[in-house]
Amino acid sequence: MHEPVVSLADVSFRFPDDQVNTLNGLTFTIRRGERVVISGPSGCGKSTLLYLLNRLYPLNCDGIVEGDIRLFGKRADDYRPGEINRLIATVFQDPDSQFCMTTVEEELAFTLENLRVSRADMERRIVDVLAQTGLTDFRNLVIQSLSGGQKQRVATACALVAEPEVLLLDEPLAHLDPLTARNFVRWLDGIQKQTGLTVIAVEHRLDLWEGFFEREIVLGSDGQMIGDHTADSKAPVVFPKRASGMTGKPALSVSDLSVEISGKQLLELLSFDIGEGEIAVIAGPNGSGKSTLAKALCGIYKHTGTVKSPGTGYVPQSPEFLFLTNSVQDELSFSGLATTKMLDDLADRLKLKAIWDAHPFAVSHGQKRRVAIGAMLADNRPVIIMDEPTSGQDVAGLQELFSLIDERSREGITFLIITHDMEFASAVADSVILIKDGRLTGKFMAEEVWENPALLNAHHLLPPKGADRREPAFA
Amino acid sequence: MLKSWKLKEIVLMSLFGVVFGIVYLVAIHFGNIWAGLIGPIAYEWMFGIWFIVSILSMAIIRKPGAAVLPETIAAIIEVMLGNAVGPRLILSGVIQGLGAEAAFAATRYRHFNLAVMMLAGAGAAVFSFVYGYFVSGYAALDPSFVLLMFTLRLLSGAIIAGIGGKYLADGLLATGALRGYAISRTKQGGAGA
Amino acid sequence: MSRLLHDMNPSVKFIIVTVSMLTMAFFFNPWTPLLFWIGILILQMTMSRINWKLWALMMLPFTLGAVGYLWTTLVFGADTGGEVIGSFAGIEVTDQQWAHAWSLTFRVLAFSTLSLLFAFTTNPVTFVMSLMQQLKVPPKIAYGTMVGYQFLPVLKDELTQIRQAQRLRGVGQDRHWWHRITGTRRLLIPMLAGAVRKAERAAFAMEARGFTGERRMEFYRPIKVSGRDYVLAGVFLVVLALSCAGGIVLGK
Repeated sequence: MHEPVVSLADVSFRFPDDQVNTLNGLTFTIRRGERVVISGPSGCGKSTLLYLLNRLYPLNCDGIVEGDIRLFGKRADDYRPGEINRLIATVFQDPDSQFCMTTVEEELAFTLENLRVSRADMERRIVDVLAQTGLTDFRNLVIQSLSGGQKQRVATACALVAEPEVLLLDEPLAHLDPLTARNFVRWLDGIQKQTGLTVIAVEHRLDLWEGFFEREIVLGSDGQMIGDHTADSKAPVVFPKRASGMTGKPALSVSDLSVEISGKQLLELLSFDIGEGEIAVIAGPNGSGKSTLAKALCGIYKHTGTVKSPGTGYVPQSPEFLFLTNSVQDELSFSGLATTKMLDDLADRLKLKAIWDAHPFAVSHGQKRRVAIGAMLADNRPVIIMDEPTSGQDVAGLQELFSLIDERSREGITFLIITHDMEFASAVADSVILIKDGRLTGKFMAEEVWENPALLNAHHLLPPKGADRREPAFA
Repeated sequence: MLKSWKLKEIVLMSLFGVVFGIVYLVAIHFGNIWAGLIGPIAYEWMFGIWFIVSILSMAIIRKPGAAVLPETIAAIIEVMLGNAVGPRLILSGVIQGLGAEAAFAATRYRHFNLAVMMLAGAGAAVFSFVYGYFVSGYAALDPSFVLLMFTLRLLSGAIIAGIGGKYLADGLLATGALRGYAISRTKQGGAGA
Repeated sequence: MSRLLHDMNPSVKFIIVTVSMLTMAFFFNPWTPLLFWIGILILQMTMSRINWKLWALMMLPFTLGAVGYLWTTLVFGADTGGEVIGSFAGIEVTDQQWAHAWSLTFRVLAFSTLSLLFAFTTNPVTFVMSLMQQLKVPPKIAYGTMVGYQFLPVLKDELTQIRQAQRLRGVGQDRHWWHRITGTRRLLIPMLAGAVRKAERAAFAMEARGFTGERRMEFYRPIKVSGRDYVLAGVFLVVLALSCAGGIVLGK
């Protein structure tokens, strides 16, 4: 057995403004070279636990720690600020907010300067880590010009350049599409095998990791440990079977739609029809024009061709971008188009009564989405486009999203949903619209698409699990 | 002084500086170049916009320096973005920030109500005007005209920065985003200790 | 030769620019700022490679501002005595006022040219790194500023998304400036709320990589002050001194 790198004995944690503990009586030991995942529902304190290991907490939040945390055999409190970060490095979830310098090279040097590496050593370590991570060609690139997946690799390189013993991962796949996520995991697998790093991750969607982890520590919603066992490959999120809500009447009709913005042809001659109550998934590679299509359909972008619709609404990935007022109620009544009775009915159906007077920014993400849909329906927009609603969602979030969409479709609301998540798509979609390079590949019945791996592959999509069981799981 | 500052607070002030910079450029867009023809008085009434970031940051963070630092950082970022007013923005940023800071220091960082914030806006206006008087040579102008400019700037500081800053701080507090910052620890977000 | 100003140490350049501006503030004769303005233009033309078209475009608002200064000082000039040299629409202008007006006008032009010289020849990242290395700006401030700079494209895109979403809700472009000011609240609140979240994430990512805000001993890319910087600073100071002296002589 290898020596312990992290050990916790009866550790509890409380934020200064809270009455109850976020973490309760945690006891476990992690040894060198282990691959451990910490799982649990949203808000169970997974990330808080991670921040206790890299010493971001308790200092950053003035939190109260009880019990004994030992890192490499030494009490956590005995480390000077920044000292532990030589040994324990972290990659976070948001690819956009992990960098402070312009180029990859400068960002790597930032870590090395923090750790007071001598200038003579810096060059060697930068060259080494770039070679190790396969990023040598990225050295002089501007970080903000990279894609999300590339940024996460750069963030990992910036952690590894410290030559740490432990790598902490805080939901590193949350903002990546499934294909990019899978490639990231395989890439990380190679690096771990090469270095023998200890990897401790916080993650709620284990299915994306295939067989990466050896051990799973499960936290309950009250911050207690409810499991510590061998990790098994997780089945994907399970959704109930749904019956289509299509009424047979037409809803949205698009013909010869083209969009050109500042001289660039973003969409070219798209034509398709969507029926009332239909749920259509829009999918395609990044940059293929999905969001452009969404914005053209609801009238944000100018377009040529015709779009016939009873009223098209749009819910951006961050629903709060739509909000204009200080309460949920005002949000729904903002346009003044809905009568009091209609509002009351919407509040009931969308379960908004409990937060009726709350500030729309202060409610949960799932509730924000409900408020946004409520606002669209109150504005008489029965065709709703949702832009990447699956991004960053945990199991509970995805299931809630499913029932939200499913229930509305049975009320005759039509949905167009942009997503890369074919697991979710296969559960919810009646039809799939595939787009590539600004052109419509076609509108397909959902089942047709799942049975056609080549078609999915051409659009940078992973088939839903269960559709293709021969997909080899790697380990 | 910086010891007691958390990095997240400093980064917060920096991002606030960028947000105000962008919103100003994109959404308000008074950058109407022809206004220059009207002469130095054309911009007086909107000087307060530049002081908001000081007052908002102080309202949230409530530490000595929370007015002067954001104004300084915002000025450095403006220069990085290639603002044509150039390096002298940094000096004027520090001076304006000190003006706002003076008002909070005078109340010993205990009160963050509307009156103190308007005073801070006025303080920033006074400091920036004194500096402007020297650098832009207002001495060559008729005293009554200078007085008119000063009054406009003072009102702008107190109203746009003071009232506007308080209004934004309250609005932001209501969104629940400020959990963990000093403003959330006092019961009624404003009325002091 | 022609890229000297681009390679000049940014902190030295910054100090020289600031000193020059503060010095100009003591002169109310038209010659000093005029001479200095010409001097700066010559330095810019001989020691830098810039896009003069863009330069002219950026100079335009300042030129209009200078005109604004000119007539403001003529119409609302301080009563300084001296001989009346002309009148227009009932406003009498003395020789003193005439001199002051041109002095302030050239001052605006000289300041603007100096500012553009700095903006066109200075790399923003190098500037902040130099502030930290030469002028001892604390690393927390320097890197905090860098983060803000990196977030610019992200926040700009976010603003676009918010405006588009709000337009869909029926919030249009406000026509009047007072509406635009009050309307910015709707844009500012989501932007600021997002900034609070992003600031914490970015700060955590930096600290998790060992950033403590302590002063650094060694830099990957040290920014140095070389003999050339002192020579260039000397050149600027000579131009400044000659303008001051020239102004005093010619102003008599």
